[in-house]
Amino acid sequence: MKRKVGALEKVDADLPNLQHKIKVDPISYQEDFVNQYGLYTSIHELFLTSPTTTDDTGLVRLRDLIDFISHTADCYPKIAGSFPNDLIKLLQLHHATLDPELRDKIVGSLVLLRKKDMIDSNTLLNTLWPLLVSTPSKSLRALLYQKIVSDLRNSNSKTTNHKLNRSMQTTCYNLIASDPASPKGIWAVKLTRELWKRQVWSDAKAVSIMEIAALSQEAKVVTGGVRFFLGGDQEREEAADEESDQEEKNISMGKLRHQAGINKKTAKRDNDLRAAAKKVKRNEKKKGAPHPLNFSALHLLHDPQGFAEKLFQQHLQPSQPKVRLNLEQKLFVLQLVSRLVGLHKLTLIPLYSYFLKFLTPRQPSVTSFLASLAQATHNLVPPDVLEPLVQKIANEFVSEAAAAQVASAGLNGIREVCVRQPLAMNETLLQDLVQYRKSKDKGVQMAARGLLSLYREVGAEMLRKRDRGRDAAMKVRSGEMDGARRFGHVEEGGIEGLELLEKWKEEQGQEGSEDEAAGWDNWDARSDSSESSGGWVNVESEGEEIDISDSEDEREKGAEKKRKMENARVKKAVGKENVDEDDKPAEKTPAKLEASQRATASLEPAAALKREEARVSTLATTRILTPADLAKLQELRQSAAVTASLPSAKRRKLQQDAAAKTAARHADDAVTAVDIEGLAKLSHKATKEEKVRMAKGLGLPNGATEDAGANDHRSTTARRKEKKAAEGKSTTNREKARKKNFLMTLGKAKRKGKRSLGETAKVLKAHVERGKRGGRRGNK
Amino acid sequence: MGSSTKKKKEKAKDFQKTKLKVGKARPKNTNATDTSFAAKSIVFKQQSVSETRDATALFNHNLSLLSSKTEPQRRDALQYLTTACQVAGEELPQPASAVISKAQPLILDGSNGVRQQLLKLFKALQGDIGPLEQLLLYTRAGMTHLSTEIRLSALAVLDWLLRTQTDAVLTCPGGWIKTTKTFQNLLSWQGGLSSTGATMNGKWSATKAATSLGNNKLLVQQLNSLATFLTAGLTPEPVDPDAAGRRAADLFPLWHTDAHVLPKGSNPFGYLNLFGAPRDAESEVYDDAESRYEIFGELGLLADFQAGVKEAKKEGGEVGRAAALVDKALRLADDR
Repeated sequence: MKRKVGALEKVDADLPNLQHKIKVDPISYQEDFVNQYGLYTSIHELFLTSPTTTDDTGLVRLRDLIDFISHTADCYPKIAGSFPNDLIKLLQLHHATLDPELRDKIVGSLVLLRKKDMIDSNTLLNTLWPLLVSTPSKSLRALLYQKIVSDLRNSNSKTTNHKLNRSMQTTCYNLIASDPASPKGIWAVKLTRELWKRQVWSDAKAVSIMEIAALSQEAKVVTGGVRFFLGGDQEREEAADEESDQEEKNISMGKLRHQAGINKKTAKRDNDLRAAAKKVKRNEKKKGAPHPLNFSALHLLHDPQGFAEKLFQQHLQPSQPKVRLNLEQKLFVLQLVSRLVGLHKLTLIPLYSYFLKFLTPRQPSVTSFLASLAQATHNLVPPDVLEPLVQKIANEFVSEAAAAQVASAGLNGIREVCVRQPLAMNETLLQDLVQYRKSKDKGVQMAARGLLSLYREVGAEMLRKRDRGRDAAMKVRSGEMDGARRFGHVEEGGIEGLELLEKWKEEQGQEGSEDEAAGWDNWDARSDSSESSGGWVNVESEGEEIDISDSEDEREKGAEKKRKMENARVKKAVGKENVDEDDKPAEKTPAKLEASQRATASLEPAAALKREEARVSTLATTRILTPADLAKLQELRQSAAVTASLPSAKRRKLQQDAAAKTAARHADDAVTAVDIEGLAKLSHKATKEEKVRMAKGLGLPNGATEDAGANDHRSTTARRKEKKAAEGKSTTNREKARKKNFLMTLGKAKRKGKRSLGETAKVLKAHVERGKRGGRRGNK
Repeated sequence: MGSSTKKKKEKAKDFQKTKLKVGKARPKNTNATDTSFAAKSIVFKQQSVSETRDATALFNHNLSLLSSKTEPQRRDALQYLTTACQVAGEELPQPASAVISKAQPLILDGSNGVRQQLLKLFKALQGDIGPLEQLLLYTRAGMTHLSTEIRLSALAVLDWLLRTQTDAVLTCPGGWIKTTKTFQNLLSWQGGLSSTGATMNGKWSATKAATSLGNNKLLVQQLNSLATFLTAGLTPEPVDPDAAGRRAADLFPLWHTDAHVLPKGSNPFGYLNLFGAPRDAESEVYDDAESRYEIFGELGLLADFQAGVKEAKKEGGEVGRAAALVDKALRLADDR
């Protein structure tokens, strides 16, 4: 006879159900838990005797029991106190032989126990990390890595958990430092990079992990470390942007409120609305919050000079290095070294001679070498070290016999070097290279022109007289050019558009101290409360008055007096303006134009210019600009930009914009091979096949990297059609109307002429109404 | 003619200008490994294609079938092994311990038929069945199993063990305390828990009825097994003062004969635990009734059991009678 199974018994055999019941009422179900725990202990013991067998025997699996107990263990900490340690031991001893599913379950259970605070983060990480480093299983590694990262992120989510971070960073550091030749260090690199990207770790300690990774003796670890320095910060920025993008895609409150008005009112919907409002508020707050100030990894380096030297000596210089890197990896290291040299203005003389043997057109990835060379150049590199390099590039790349692409890459490379150290060029070579602007090839032509325009600004006297151009020739004549041509010369900083403000003040007659005090009084014009600004006035205006009275006396005679005394300084300032010109082209043009006009008009143009410069410098050095001043400055800059776009100035502005684009790059940005190759692209002539492909919109053959948009030769209609298709639409209404059969339109046209006034009004009204509703069917 | 055009082409090739591209990436190595292949597996429908086999091979084959995935195959294999054991007696192709070690996981088998057949096999086995540690582990796991059926058959296995290998069960590591504790858990005879209601963290909660519906049969079986187990464990060996003298007289010129003859059981020094993990109080070996009694009282099991039995006796009927047997076994301990 079949035994009847009681309802209760049936239910208890179901682990998920029991789990739920235990969570609701732990005390009542303690007995059941004890029974299950007993079963777990016996199966666990059985399992320990032969850990390699799968646990598929019988009805209950160890996996299910572990899952059940890890979910409910926090209700009975006394009974299940040893459970986490059991799991940890099981994992540590048998991770290599365990059944994959059981193994993953154990890892998951440990993380769950961490969430329930049965174990602390340190224990968890100390268990998982050694496994990650040592396990041969790929899937386990992926799982462990993900769990480790998420645990670190979670424990840093509210406040930075310095203690945990420090211990983990030390573990990572030691992993690489203890055995630089082992490939295990890659995990330390991977973890650090991920946490850096997520802005969990952003301190010098994380950078020092990468530093030691870059200096290790394993190719993958080295590359990982080096690539972090080259791209880690960019990655971090992108991740931050993405995050904020996702936040911006949020709920529109108006729509929600509208929906709440229409739909049936329930408590749940009310709560939803409230939650949405809260979220919107939080996002607003986040938007208003200041951007977290994070230093880039390259700036957090403890000893850049030492690091660059070690990198170079260990990986690049020796003919038999400890770790064999292939060309690509070597290029990464070289990029990092040159980046460090360029950014921190380090002195690493052997680096330049190292470049010498790679600078031939047949060298693979030679443009990357050229880019690295340009990067490693800065104004404190001795010109005699660079001169042979420039000479070699000119000899190898730039000749009539060389292919157009090669020549333009060479010229571009030379130009990039000379932008950073103009003294690396000698006169004969420059005059020779500039000749290539007459080349038939567009790429070579442009590259040569770039070089020419560069030297018009930084060293016009080296050019032949007819190459100098009007502005440069005038400057050479007035003798302003030699200031920049000295080695080790450093430019002064300036404030953009300051001369505009100066002039404006003079016109207004607003030089007195009272005006200035007034400026501080309403420094925050928009805010109504004067409490805070009152504080400002009391403190600042006193000091200001003394200062100003001093400077005012001087300013009257300053022009004559300082002309003699500070001659050298003024010259420098002029030089600076020339060099810095591309940084602020639009704003400065009127002043410069004015200056140049005056120069042509007056007999002593230099003197006028000097007077101007002297006045500007006094304004910046003798006064504290009030917020009102700054606001005015901004306004003046904008108006100057408007005048600059007048037709006469337009052409010049365009030219300068192009130049600015290359020079206005941030100092932290890298020079890449693409920058060098840029103009070489112009030299490439498309074959017939390529042209056909482009006309068909198939892009370039054999996976060329240029983006499809630039080489899309299809008709406008074809492009528009593709765009429509991408949006999931077929044709526009206009297109439909245009394609409609002529005979079908006839009847309507006939009828339309005979409509009565009332009918017409009705049709028009209906049209307006339809527009409001959003189409015939209504755009709901 | 053909050759001349060919030659012409070859000559022309010599003067062709190689196209030079700046900054070209490195070509792929000639010795690069192509990893774009997919692995495939071959599936056989039959496990074995050979036809004729002798008895030994068949026995081994059936032994291996015990871990088969399909239920009838396991049951049939067990059946074959049972008949083989009954026929062959002690002259099996494999020792009984090997059969046991293969068959013991089936205590936890989900199918009723398999478990019944397994018990038959156990009963048919003759000769030394080796160390019982593993077998006891499986039995205990079966006793705590979710399914009542499995619990029942595990108890049957325990009964069989107690009948045939009493001493071996009691003296194997963990055989005494762990098993009693398992019984304690099963019967919910934890002394600390009151049966009417409990409060924890200031929350009040009612416990459910101690006896599950329709479980009386299991409970009776459990109590019976427990009674057998306790009786076996707590009964002191019959001390025969003359036995030693008689034995010594038989073997007269020899002294300490037992120390010099070859041991009869396997792993004779196992109780020393020279190579295993260190044991705690639960998995220690208690090899005489005296020490078993001591640890039984020390862990507070005696008091818990007495209280539990008292409750169980009140139920009357079959359960009460079974509880009375347990009570009788506990008296053995009380008498000291």
